[in-house]
Amino acid sequence: MTMASTLEPVRGARRAKDIAYRVSLWLCVAIAMATLGVIALYVLARGINALSVNFFTKEPASQLHPEQGGIVQSFIGTGMIVGIAALIAIPLGLLTAVYLAEYGKGRTASAIRLVSQVLLSTPSIVAGAFIWTVVVVAFGNFSAFAGGLALVVLMWPIVARATEEVLRLVPQELREGSLALGLPRWKTILRVVVPAAGAGILTAVMLAVARALGETAPILLTALGNDYINTDPLKPTDAVPLRIYADARTPIEALHTIAWGGALVLLLAVLLLSIGARVLSVRQQKRLA
Amino acid sequence: MSGSVSADELAGLGAGAARARRSRFIDRGFRSMTLLLGLALIGLLVYMLIDLTAGAWRTFEQFGLHFFVGTTWNPVRGREEFGALPFIFGTAVTSFLAVIIAVPVGVGLALFLNQVRGALANPLAVFIDILAAIPSIVYGLWGLFVLRPFFDSTVEPFLASTIGKVPIVGALFSGKTQGPDMFTAGVILAIMILPIITAVSREVIAVVPRDLREAALALGATRWESVRIAVLPYARNGIVGATMLGLGRALGETIAVAMVIGNVPKIGWSLLAPAATIPSWIASSFREASSVGLHRSALLALAVTLVIWSFLLALVSRVLVRKTEEQIGEPVGDEPVSVARLGAGG
Amino acid sequence: MSTSRIRAVTIAVVAIALVTAACSSKSSSGSGGGAFEGVALTGAGATFPDPIYEQWFDEFKGVMPGAKINYQAIGSGGGVEQFTAKTVDFGASDAPLQADEISALPGPYIEVPTVLGGVVVAYNVSGVKSGLKLDGATTAKIFQGEITKWNDPAITSLNPGVTLPSTPISVVHRSDESGTTFVFTSWLSSQSKDWEKKIGADKAVSWPTGTGGDGNDGVAAGISQTDGSIGYLSYDFAVSSGLGIADIQRDDGTFVTPSVESISKAGGDLTLPISSDTNILNSKTKGAYPIASTTYLLLYQDATDQDKAQTIFDFVTWALTKGQSSVQQLNYSPLPPAIAAAGLKELSKMTLNGQPLTASGAVTG
Repeated sequence: MTMASTLEPVRGARRAKDIAYRVSLWLCVAIAMATLGVIALYVLARGINALSVNFFTKEPASQLHPEQGGIVQSFIGTGMIVGIAALIAIPLGLLTAVYLAEYGKGRTASAIRLVSQVLLSTPSIVAGAFIWTVVVVAFGNFSAFAGGLALVVLMWPIVARATEEVLRLVPQELREGSLALGLPRWKTILRVVVPAAGAGILTAVMLAVARALGETAPILLTALGNDYINTDPLKPTDAVPLRIYADARTPIEALHTIAWGGALVLLLAVLLLSIGARVLSVRQQKRLA
Repeated sequence: MSGSVSADELAGLGAGAARARRSRFIDRGFRSMTLLLGLALIGLLVYMLIDLTAGAWRTFEQFGLHFFVGTTWNPVRGREEFGALPFIFGTAVTSFLAVIIAVPVGVGLALFLNQVRGALANPLAVFIDILAAIPSIVYGLWGLFVLRPFFDSTVEPFLASTIGKVPIVGALFSGKTQGPDMFTAGVILAIMILPIITAVSREVIAVVPRDLREAALALGATRWESVRIAVLPYARNGIVGATMLGLGRALGETIAVAMVIGNVPKIGWSLLAPAATIPSWIASSFREASSVGLHRSALLALAVTLVIWSFLLALVSRVLVRKTEEQIGEPVGDEPVSVARLGAGG
Repeated sequence: MSTSRIRAVTIAVVAIALVTAACSSKSSSGSGGGAFEGVALTGAGATFPDPIYEQWFDEFKGVMPGAKINYQAIGSGGGVEQFTAKTVDFGASDAPLQADEISALPGPYIEVPTVLGGVVVAYNVSGVKSGLKLDGATTAKIFQGEITKWNDPAITSLNPGVTLPSTPISVVHRSDESGTTFVFTSWLSSQSKDWEKKIGADKAVSWPTGTGGDGNDGVAAGISQTDGSIGYLSYDFAVSSGLGIADIQRDDGTFVTPSVESISKAGGDLTLPISSDTNILNSKTKGAYPIASTTYLLLYQDATDQDKAQTIFDFVTWALTKGQSSVQQLNYSPLPPAIAAAGLKELSKMTLNGQPLTASGAVTG
């Protein structure tokens, strides 16, 4: 610091540029926070009007009294579609990650990683188009199952990559200790490594589910939508994002309010999962550090 | 273990050998199963590419390379003509606009997060994660009912009357200000890709060696100068990589764009005119497209175009991030998983 | 995760699966004794009749409580597409099936008209009230971009006594596929050889000028946002939009205001069975609105699922009889009784495993 004081004080153009720099950084922060604030406020303000008992328990009402209806079938449908997707994608992703983290050192593993990166960056509409041609036409039906499969295409690489990272973080000593005690490799992985990474894996799952909850395009092409409750996974099913999309495009104000309500619930669910995932991962890092 | 071996132990060892053989068998089986699943993932991608290309084949057969440069999209049977250029144009313009807006803000945020420790940094990072987590449909709804009316009534007339009057550049903001347009879509996309650009830029900036920056500061450089001299040159490749990743996400966003862009297959100079992107067009036309005739096949051809485009982009960004790593000598962290990176999809 | 937790999760998953299976089997079980209550159906297609169809489905549930009909208005093109792929139980289209679509169908079909409607030319010009007179040739030129100002002689000559401003004309058209576009462009093709040659008629065409709106509401919004705009809307929608509606000139020279009455006058032109160029445009009946149209339900003749076949048979029977009395309140026009009867005759072609169907008591009583 004494060196600095013997040099010429910063003035003129240099100082101006520095101030401009600092101000613009704060400006960026302000822009980001303001944008988030505006979005959150609007969704909250407009969505809260829609939330009522009817909203969560009734199906859409007739043309003449749209505000009395609800979107219970969308909630059930989203649960079913995302549930199916999770049931398939989580084990698949987990075991793929196990291969990558525990066994994969060579070219095969790199290829798998590259592929999952490509799938991760594939636009979700493409997954929807793909599943439409393969599943919807083959079954002869739009279905929750097809919607779930379209989401699997997106969730599988997410779970795989995120879980791989977490598994890598498990200290090597744990593995070596377990093997030294005589446990075979597969038991080591399943009974020692995976549980040690437990919270991290949960984080990965939560992130994947959060992503799946908000996806619209892939289920637009595969689940069709439904005005009634449907519990058969092989039939057309509604989902919250689909309902929001459809309601927003009608000219009926009451349905717009319902759309905002759906958006609010969706946003809260996704936020809870994302923030929860973040909290868990911080805790996991502390545990393993 | 004691020196002598009892008869029981001998018997146990024999059984143990059998157990060990069985265990090795299960071990191999387990490993093979996980390998198989990994290969299945590759198979899934390959199957998807083959299936889409097969569906698109009739279109490519009929129009060949003209598909990519044709400007007419006419599904009327008897006059069918499918050219993808309007959608390539719309995708390129909106993504470009999104990047122009999001990169400065994102890099600024990254620099800010990098230099600030403590109380403010964590909440800000959390807020960016929240922005990343917001689903595309919510952005679309907000864009349709909040941003679009606001832009239509305030921002766009302002732009049209100021920049719009400047010669040459003014063409960008000419024409009707009402209604959906590329400008609104570009802004929404910018908000949506901000988190990933910020996250990657942040990592890239974080691995720049501190010594250079501190040396510059010690020599009396201002903060701006230290960043300009000691951080940005090293982070440049990585920031370009982040830009590419952001572009990649912008490419794939479907619903939010579909709700604010107007879905009109036209090419023009004005940002205030409606247009269409590849994903928004596929989303709005797919369910209605008939497979008698080429319409459905042409949409699949658009999907293939998009896949190729995003694949090339991902490749380029990967190379650039690697180049930064080489320069710095440290791994940037092979795309660690976070909400900002995964975001919420379209 | 510990072993006990893995066990717990597995049990939960199995339980959910069992419950789901139980629920789905309950919903697909046939009706026991007693009156037939109907089952859930899925249909998809035209947006033009969506409001009245939704109203009908709601009312029909009062007649048959089990008939939950899920209709997704994805567009006429989508209706035909999904009907062909058999991914829905019935399709709905504003345009009659074309030859290549028919040859792609996997089995013999039934095409029944359900309700009448019309397409209106709507506009937003300050100072100009509803009722501006337009003819086919002028309208075609406007939508082609050849007439660009409201005070063009072609328009003023049709409207003596009306002061038209020099505002430029902004055209608004549909950006999505729609039967409304099909009807409108079919009419334009019939009125202008130039239009027919250059643009043609279809559910989506390559528009030479103008901006696109998504759905009727998108077009209505587009028209109302800019002074001097003109576009086309389905009649039921235009009535509630508050926009100016044009009187269209008939082939006999008279001008007709679109209304439920003037549209229903065109209904007499319908002949069944429906052919690929069936239309009720330019009706010769005096006072009939020229841009009138109908919309069709698509079914397969040979049904195999008893409950579904009975439900759809009952619904269409009800719609063609009792349902017709509800259409006017939503600004649609009912089918002429003769046409409705002809429609029922078409419906009687439907068979279940070779046997003809009869309507349930709840529908005929």
